[in-house]
Amino acid sequence: MSEITVGTVVPALTKTIELTDMIAYAGSTWDWHKLHYDGEYLAQKKIPKPVVDGQIFGAYLVQQLQDWLGPKAFVTALDFRFKNLVFAGETIECTASVTAVEQTPDGTLITVASEVGVVGENARVAAGPCSATVLVRS
Amino acid sequence: MGLLTDELRARIGEQAVYTAPEPVGRASIRYYALAVGDANPLYLDASAAQAAGYSDVIAPPTWITETNQYMTGSRNAEGYMGHGWGIELPNTRLVRGGNSYTFNKAIHPDDIVTATWEIVDATERTTSKGTDMLIVTSSATYTNQRGEVLATNTESLIWTSMGGAA
Repeated sequence: MSEITVGTVVPALTKTIELTDMIAYAGSTWDWHKLHYDGEYLAQKKIPKPVVDGQIFGAYLVQQLQDWLGPKAFVTALDFRFKNLVFAGETIECTASVTAVEQTPDGTLITVASEVGVVGENARVAAGPCSATVLVRS
Repeated sequence: MGLLTDELRARIGEQAVYTAPEPVGRASIRYYALAVGDANPLYLDASAAQAAGYSDVIAPPTWITETNQYMTGSRNAEGYMGHGWGIELPNTRLVRGGNSYTFNKAIHPDDIVTATWEIVDATERTTSKGTDMLIVTSSATYTNQRGEVLATNTESLIWTSMGGAA
């Protein structure tokens, strides 16, 4: 872990969230709210497209860190604020950089500051500021 | 102002407890991992998880923060069957503020999860643009059948007044 220091940039994670992904997520989390897939319901509420369940961003932020640090890493804390809705078909990017590195008896504790942004035509912050702590067992 | 009623204030400290009727299971872990597009072998391949020091596959940590699967009721008119406090405020719009999780232990297929929700705070304020807001903070603690804390979740829900006649 010696190469990771304050300011180290974490490789970004990009995901295009299709309606199919959203339906799979709704099924896997037993969250069947119509906001995430039902065109008629959305039209009544004057919402242009199915709304991505924001809690999936937590899964993406974990994936970004787990992919980066490998199987000895375990995310111990994750915090995020929602800023803007994300709609079916949009692409998000998770970006992060290291804000603290601490050696503990259990391993190296790495803290990052991150953000989930929508990229493309209507670029905007989806969730942020976010932060996470990862323990990399020695 | 006026979104924070005495009735709601009196509910601070109220709890709701849900226990899963069965262990987590490998299928549920695999379904969630594939649904979020994360094919990490820790979630899918027991031998890879064992090589990393676990007894079996583990769940992606955020798997546990969705407690809908512990519910036994029926879904509401909006299709939703998960945990809620039944707070209905006319002429308001509800948005999620954010979540703050701690992941205390890796979740394994044989864990039987109990989620204990609590209303920890309710506050109201008026924005600089004069919009009334109600912020309800809830916490959830997720434990297994051995009483071990697997994770915690603090979340905020924000109701904003849509103006006009209240």
